[in-house]
Amino acid sequence: MTLPLFPIWMVDLAGSSLMILFSFLCVRLARRLKNQDQSNVIWTYLLWLCYALAAFAISRSVGHIAKRILLTAGHNDIWNLLRPYSGSINSLMFVVVASITLFFERTWKVYQQISKDQRALQEAHEELIYLNRNLEHLVAARTQELALSERKYRRIFEVSRDGIILVDGGAAIINLNPAGLALLGLSSLTTDGERIRFSHFFAAAEEWRGIQEALERQGFVPDTEVLLKTDRGALFPVLLSGTAETGDNGAIDSVQFLIKDISQRKAMEKQLLQADKLASIGQLAAGIAHEINNPLSMILGYAQLMLRGEQEGTQQYADLKIIEKHARNCKTIVEDLLSFARSTQTRRTVGHVHAALDEVMSVVRHHFELDGVHIEKNFGAQVPQMILDAEKIKQVFMNLIMNAKQAIGRKGSILLRTRYDAAHARVSIEVRDTGAGISREHLPRIFDPFFTTKPTGEGTGLGLSVSYGIVKDHDGDILVRSEPGQGSTFTVLLPVTTTRGAEIDNGG
Amino acid sequence: MKKSYVSITLWGLAWMLLTMAQPAGATQVHAEPEGLYVHQIAHLFFIVSMGILIYWLREWKLVEQKGWRLVQYSSLFFILWNIDAMIVHYLDEQGAIFQTINAGTDYASLASDPASSGPALLYYLAKLDHLLCVPAIVFLYAGLRHLLQQAQAAKSSDSAT
Repeated sequence: MTLPLFPIWMVDLAGSSLMILFSFLCVRLARRLKNQDQSNVIWTYLLWLCYALAAFAISRSVGHIAKRILLTAGHNDIWNLLRPYSGSINSLMFVVVASITLFFERTWKVYQQISKDQRALQEAHEELIYLNRNLEHLVAARTQELALSERKYRRIFEVSRDGIILVDGGAAIINLNPAGLALLGLSSLTTDGERIRFSHFFAAAEEWRGIQEALERQGFVPDTEVLLKTDRGALFPVLLSGTAETGDNGAIDSVQFLIKDISQRKAMEKQLLQADKLASIGQLAAGIAHEINNPLSMILGYAQLMLRGEQEGTQQYADLKIIEKHARNCKTIVEDLLSFARSTQTRRTVGHVHAALDEVMSVVRHHFELDGVHIEKNFGAQVPQMILDAEKIKQVFMNLIMNAKQAIGRKGSILLRTRYDAAHARVSIEVRDTGAGISREHLPRIFDPFFTTKPTGEGTGLGLSVSYGIVKDHDGDILVRSEPGQGSTFTVLLPVTTTRGAEIDNGG
Repeated sequence: MKKSYVSITLWGLAWMLLTMAQPAGATQVHAEPEGLYVHQIAHLFFIVSMGILIYWLREWKLVEQKGWRLVQYSSLFFILWNIDAMIVHYLDEQGAIFQTINAGTDYASLASDPASSGPALLYYLAKLDHLLCVPAIVFLYAGLRHLLQQAQAAKSSDSAT
């Protein structure tokens, strides 16, 4: 068998050339891969493998081409000289390529580890960015909520009608809302550069001590009635509650007090108490008056009947006169009691308070002027007609004017002043005198039945009580303002009702 | 387990080198056959390393990607080429099987006895070894090109996001 060697040579030459060409192309691609990602260890590995394969391709292919050329040219001797070197280099290149190839497993594991770390780093980075963004949103939302909350509570603090006071551990006022400022009569929180202490506003030092003890003991003070005084010394009752905040050492850092002015409530309570008292007495008096009225009428009637049959100047006539006089006095008292107890008939018609006042003045003016007591009148032009029981209202004015006269004694003046308050639809009638005034301890009792400061026999103590009853019966009010030595002012407030033709019968 | 394959291979090579060495004095004489043996062992080392590469490519399922699959084919062809080259080198040493006629001319040919025509034909075909190593390097080139395209696509995708 004979086989031509030419095809082998052709394949050898062409193959060797292609090996060199493609090995270099592989190096080029591997370099591009490497440039794509310099840190990628796999691309580095492939580049080194391609370098080794290129070296292998050169060594082998150049050897083959050189062999073919030298043998064709008849330089067998030169080839025989080169052949061992070519073969040795080839062997070395095989080993180099194989060795580099074996590093694939380790390189791949390193690459995997790096990729894993990179992914973890990237995930951590992304998570951080996410958290950072979310944190910003969260903080922004929270800040907005806090701002809203702060505005809301600031508004509550500012517009609260109760005083809110924040004090430090030493009771120095740190903050105070406008209502608190008004209650305490303050214009600033400092005086002479120092913070004002809340304790200074307590009328009784022991009350402040009690509150301090409660705060230290239980950390709060429940609603407690205390008496405070304003910066100018005016006393007013308040309902006070407080909560303490303590620091790490257990000492009180600050206390928030809430103070509610209960002056009006207290006044109302007093008025209610007075009304209850008067109502009770009124019921009692009415019962007694009703029982006594008939026997008194009988006594008076019989006394007058017996007087007709007696000659004047006789002892019996004088005795009967005394009986008649005292019976009349008793009857007056009983009638007053019945008036006070509203058990007498009330007849309301359209009338004018000015007419009632003029009528009363015409009765008393002459008598007063003899004693040097001058009556002035200052009637409001706007005062309208109103529905009232003129007789009873005259009785009220008479009582007040007579009281004023008695308070003055001799020489003085009485001012009668009327005004119409359109906003409240009521008429005020003031009776002001320049008399001795009413002492502070007597003021709460002047409307009590049978209370009088006059000597025995000069007053029944029913005048103001009866007046009070009549005014209340007209849905009005009667106020008194008095300073000892400065005179007194009684103010009758009557609501203006204009329902014509309504004659109302009360009592029975 | 994977490490043990490498270890066994290396230890096997070491054992072969040690057991095949001839007794020597202080300095060993490197006679002519040693070069061939070294060359053959280098081919064997090449085969083993490529085999291991294929093993890892398959083990880690990298062959599911086209680029690495082409690299796998490249390794396979390099293995085949190495086997082919080893056969050629072996038959080159069997001088009695065939002889070259008209050596040094364009009409040179391989002649053999009818009795040894089989090995001569095998030698003839094996001498066309570039038909194996050129596809091997071409597969490697194709594999690298695909890996590059993949990397470029991934990079542009990353930059787009």
